[in-house]
Amino acid sequence: MTSRPEELLPEGGMGVEVVPVSGELNVGPQHPGAGHMRILVKLNGDIIEDVDLDVGYVHRSVEKLCENRNYIHLIPLVERPAILDSIHMNLGYILAVEKILGVQAPERAQYLRSFSAEVNRIASHLYGLGILTVFLGHSTGFMWGFGDREVWVEILQALTGARVTNSYIIPGGVRRDLGGAIIEMTNKALDYTERKLKDWKSMVLNNPVIRARLENVGVMSRENAVRWGAVGPNLRGSGVYYDVRKMEPYAAYDKLDFEIPVYKEGDGFARTLVRFEEIEQSMKMIRQILKEIPEGPILTDRFLNQIPPTRRKKWLEEQRRVVFPGYYASFRPPKGEATSMVEAGRGELLYYVISDGSAHPYRVRMITPSYRLIYVFKELVKGSRYADLVSIYGSLDYFPPEADR
Amino acid sequence: MDVLALLEFYILYPSFFVMIIFPGLIFALIVLLYTIWFERKIAAKVQMRFGPLYASKRSGGFLQLVADAMKFVFSEIIVPEQVNSTLFALGPVLYLLVSLLPLAAIPLSTIPPTGSVLSMYFHEFYDPNVGTGIMAAVVSNYSLLIVLALEAVTPVFVLFTAWVTNNRFALLGAVREGLLSVSYDVLLIMASLSLAIEFHTLDVAKIVEAPIPGFVANPFAAFLFLVGMLIGTGRFPFDIVEAESELVAGPYTEYSGLLFVLSMGGSYIGTFAYSILFADLFLGGWQPFTGYYGMIFTVFKAILVLMFAVFMRSVYGRYRIDQALRGSWKYLFPLALLSIVIGGVVGIWIR
Repeated sequence: MTSRPEELLPEGGMGVEVVPVSGELNVGPQHPGAGHMRILVKLNGDIIEDVDLDVGYVHRSVEKLCENRNYIHLIPLVERPAILDSIHMNLGYILAVEKILGVQAPERAQYLRSFSAEVNRIASHLYGLGILTVFLGHSTGFMWGFGDREVWVEILQALTGARVTNSYIIPGGVRRDLGGAIIEMTNKALDYTERKLKDWKSMVLNNPVIRARLENVGVMSRENAVRWGAVGPNLRGSGVYYDVRKMEPYAAYDKLDFEIPVYKEGDGFARTLVRFEEIEQSMKMIRQILKEIPEGPILTDRFLNQIPPTRRKKWLEEQRRVVFPGYYASFRPPKGEATSMVEAGRGELLYYVISDGSAHPYRVRMITPSYRLIYVFKELVKGSRYADLVSIYGSLDYFPPEADR
Repeated sequence: MDVLALLEFYILYPSFFVMIIFPGLIFALIVLLYTIWFERKIAAKVQMRFGPLYASKRSGGFLQLVADAMKFVFSEIIVPEQVNSTLFALGPVLYLLVSLLPLAAIPLSTIPPTGSVLSMYFHEFYDPNVGTGIMAAVVSNYSLLIVLALEAVTPVFVLFTAWVTNNRFALLGAVREGLLSVSYDVLLIMASLSLAIEFHTLDVAKIVEAPIPGFVANPFAAFLFLVGMLIGTGRFPFDIVEAESELVAGPYTEYSGLLFVLSMGGSYIGTFAYSILFADLFLGGWQPFTGYYGMIFTVFKAILVLMFAVFMRSVYGRYRIDQALRGSWKYLFPLALLSIVIGGVVGIWIR
């Protein structure tokens, strides 16, 4: 033994040797911050060296089930993977089927599709903001997200009859018409959310803690965003101007006046801001739709004529609802294939439907936005701190069932 | 002396009364339950909900926490296979005990020589420094040092709990606690010492009896103590050790049933002890009351501070550990040095 500390301690006794402590941490699938996913985190001290994402815990083989069911029966199925974004899941599928059928929805139905889609987008973004804030420990944002989402879900319920699994959009049109009571409800909801968004700004967006946790965290450059295949608000948060609603307009988006918020910072805060401003843009669109929506049928004439007159009188003319006869469920579209793209709440959603002329599709392929986020998430968390795992995860608004399908 | 008077003498004996009845063990557990009730209720108010409601609907779910506590008492305690079960059970118990210990040295009120039920203890609990009897379990001229020393022991037991549970999340939480304790202890000690310099004493009672309350004499120290207290007891925005979305429950991940309540209660009771010290040092303690009323007044102030601390949950999120460390060393530590300078300079006029 020596009595001189210099010989015992490294670097002349003055330096501090940082011993890397590495290990694996098994986050999830039963973990408050993991969702339905196992994240194997390789840690070096507090720094994440690598993550291994074990997805598929909520896989329900939706694509395979699609091959054994009738086209109409698939509507409730395809919207199940993302129940909080079900209008978009439904809409994308119907757009592809309509291309095979060769029908075009009437003008009023197109507006109603945009209306329901935007209502759903607001609800979906508020859900995402809520999840993000609870990941950052801010329980108020969580409760506000779910509470403020409620008014929009109520509108969907009044319009479609269901809170989340709406099954609202059918080939050739929509299932129910917009009435005066729903318009009044929507106006109230618009006023309420406008007031509430001010509170959101002061409580969440300008909260010093939330900003500290999101700014400069999980920075995704423009090049990386394109290379990793990010979509939706995450892509736009990295400065790429891409939105299916503008690039290849569907429903009534070519007639609506709206802007696409784009931020070039690429960090978690930019992604949050994009979502936040999309809520404002959606509200603007809903206002415009309520003002400009044309009168007319909500179902294309080709299908309207197939409904027996008594049924048409009872449901369509008195209650403005479409109720098909039973045989409609097994309609056989012509042979063909079609692709459709919609801008879902979390980004671009692609459907590819092949029809072989039978009552079931031969193949349905759905590429959901969350599915594309898996790789983005894996790449983004490398090199960040362990506490930022949930911050990045929340800011991407990843929804596991949507990715697993 | 008949039996009743004897009983009264022993029950009201400050060392026993302060530690066991008020504001010690029994009262602290009631405070624990109702702080959590208040925390949930005030958060619910902010978050557009009702909060606890169904147990005793008429009083706003006032009995909810009692029901919860009973449920926890009877729920199974799961002991993991690979841990030493004795140490596993001992961890939370020691943690709670150590959180409660600082109450022993914190003075709560003065004992007047005559005219109060407490006056019979005047001579035994006489503090020559202040010149009157002090209602505290242990009367000492160095009570501030004793309290700070006892508070500084708690992180050791957090580490101990995490170590015996043999869980990686717990271990990460313990590492965070260890890192944080270095920074918040410095803040707490420097804030307290700046007051000690200012009032030329290490006796908490003498600081309370000083002509001006602490937060007027040294507002920086008051702010630092409050922040240090929030960091030290894991209240928001510094809920870093238990960080739910990151570490499940931090050091207490493996605990269930009563042991979980004890480990969770430890941090609340720690906050309560800090709050009483804060009320004494900065809010004028029992002034202008004495005796029994002074004691209630001190605890009342402490509960207000405690409520403020738990209210932070509905306003803030959670900082990252490196942000909390950087903040406390880069911004708060210089402020602590400044508060010591202020303490030294202002102390010249305070006699």
